[in-house]
Amino acid sequence: MIRVENLTIRFGPATAVRDVSFSIAEGEAFGLVGESGSGKSTVLRTIMGLNSDWSGVITVDGKPVRQTGRKAFARLAQMVFQDPYASLHPRFAIGQIIAEPMKLHRMSGIEARTDSLLEMIGLDPSFRFRFPHELSGGQRQRVAIARALALEPRLLLLDEPTSALDVSIQAEILNLLNRLRHELKLTFLLVSHDLAVVSYMCDRLAIMRNAQMVEVLSREDLRQRNLKKAYSAELVQSSLVGAAFG
Amino acid sequence: MSETPLVQVENLRISFPREDGTQHEAVAGVTFSAGREKLGIVGESGSGKSLSTRALMGVLPDYAHVSADRLQFRDTDLLTASPAEKRRLRGGRMGMILQDPKFSLNPVQRVGWQIVEAIRIGNPSIGRLAARNKAVDMLEAVHIRNPQQVFDLYPHQVSGGMGQRVMIAMMMAREPDILVADEPTSALDVTVRNQVLSIMEEMVTRRNAGLILISHDLKLISSFCDRVLVMYRGRIVESLTSGDLHKAQHPYTRGLIACLPSIDGPLDPLPVLKREESWAASETHHDPR
Repeated sequence: MIRVENLTIRFGPATAVRDVSFSIAEGEAFGLVGESGSGKSTVLRTIMGLNSDWSGVITVDGKPVRQTGRKAFARLAQMVFQDPYASLHPRFAIGQIIAEPMKLHRMSGIEARTDSLLEMIGLDPSFRFRFPHELSGGQRQRVAIARALALEPRLLLLDEPTSALDVSIQAEILNLLNRLRHELKLTFLLVSHDLAVVSYMCDRLAIMRNAQMVEVLSREDLRQRNLKKAYSAELVQSSLVGAAFG
Repeated sequence: MSETPLVQVENLRISFPREDGTQHEAVAGVTFSAGREKLGIVGESGSGKSLSTRALMGVLPDYAHVSADRLQFRDTDLLTASPAEKRRLRGGRMGMILQDPKFSLNPVQRVGWQIVEAIRIGNPSIGRLAARNKAVDMLEAVHIRNPQQVFDLYPHQVSGGMGQRVMIAMMMAREPDILVADEPTSALDVTVRNQVLSIMEEMVTRRNAGLILISHDLKLISSFCDRVLVMYRGRIVESLTSGDLHKAQHPYTRGLIACLPSIDGPLDPLPVLKREESWAASETHHDPR
């Protein structure tokens, strides 16, 4: 579904991502884990076309992203951002927010589809007429997911989708994402700093550090501590809270 | 514990005016005490954990309405203390560390001089050089390897973990009796988080101070603190001793633990917390001490 080869991303003189390669099969959930500044979100944003200064190869669904038109790409891949407070238009009603991408793509039956999207994410159709500030963080993130699904993409890029939420709400959103992935046969690329979330959500993952990829692991590798690099072991150890203060 | 607690809070209530003139009660009768120990307060956003400690520090905005049967720090009754008295306690006897050092440090002053300022407010007679030396010592005490260089850095030049260590150094320079840390590691990476916590622990243990640690992270707090208070909608619903997390009785606490994914956990759908009205209506849990 996605193939990334020798991806290098620069911001002026700084190199944010250096020589990163990975590929994700159709229907797979792949995680990018790392600490702040490791470049994981930058990879995601670049795939989405939000950074222009990059070199290497990125293909989605077999086609290089630079050759895929913006509209066609929007139907293929969509993104969900970290902060649901910042990613929804504050003066659009929820129905408008979800319908906007469909309008831009001149789809028909928008109203009915808006309702069915709301139902899909577990919100009542009456939410169409509410505004983002009337919703909780978890509800907003559901709306952001509905908007992302409006164009029936096959790939979802998720940038820390639950790190701004309380843990009880995180559980609801993760369950929702997993359900949608199976129902709609989606491919996920999930960025998170939380190894537990990635281990729960993803079939395979890559650990990033200082703009580079440390190693790619399967979930089994992670769970059996089949780690080749010292940094991976350090990250796993630090993530196992409780072990540190036993 | 035979020693009198540093902090005693009884039936603390905090409310905010709504637009329609009614009051929204954000903290609804909280009772706890803290001694020279590590006390954790855990809860989700809006549970009142930060507000409760801010009332203790006296840093709530004027429009917040605070009432309590008792709000005491050592011998000082904070309910009747004058603003000047409370100001003397803050920073001196009571220190506070907030979530993000980016917003707590003055961006246009070198970090070392910010520590010097804290030292000189506490001890106006100390000389400039002596204060500087003390600040460098403090930086060294929070395990900053090259304190002389770090002294001259601006906040934007230090990492989040180092910024938080600077904050700890600044707060501990006045040797407070109690340190309140509100989500001190939530903005930090996991590998740095443990380091900052252990430095904080070392500082309070060495100086025999009390620590109140506020966090949304139940597992972190219960492995780090001696006692944990669990808050839900302005009430303390349960208090636990460290290591007894698995003995948690309250369905809210158990729900919070269960809904966390873990690295080695099952892949089944995560249990979702089902909130019950009765949790918020029930009598607040009394701190057993």
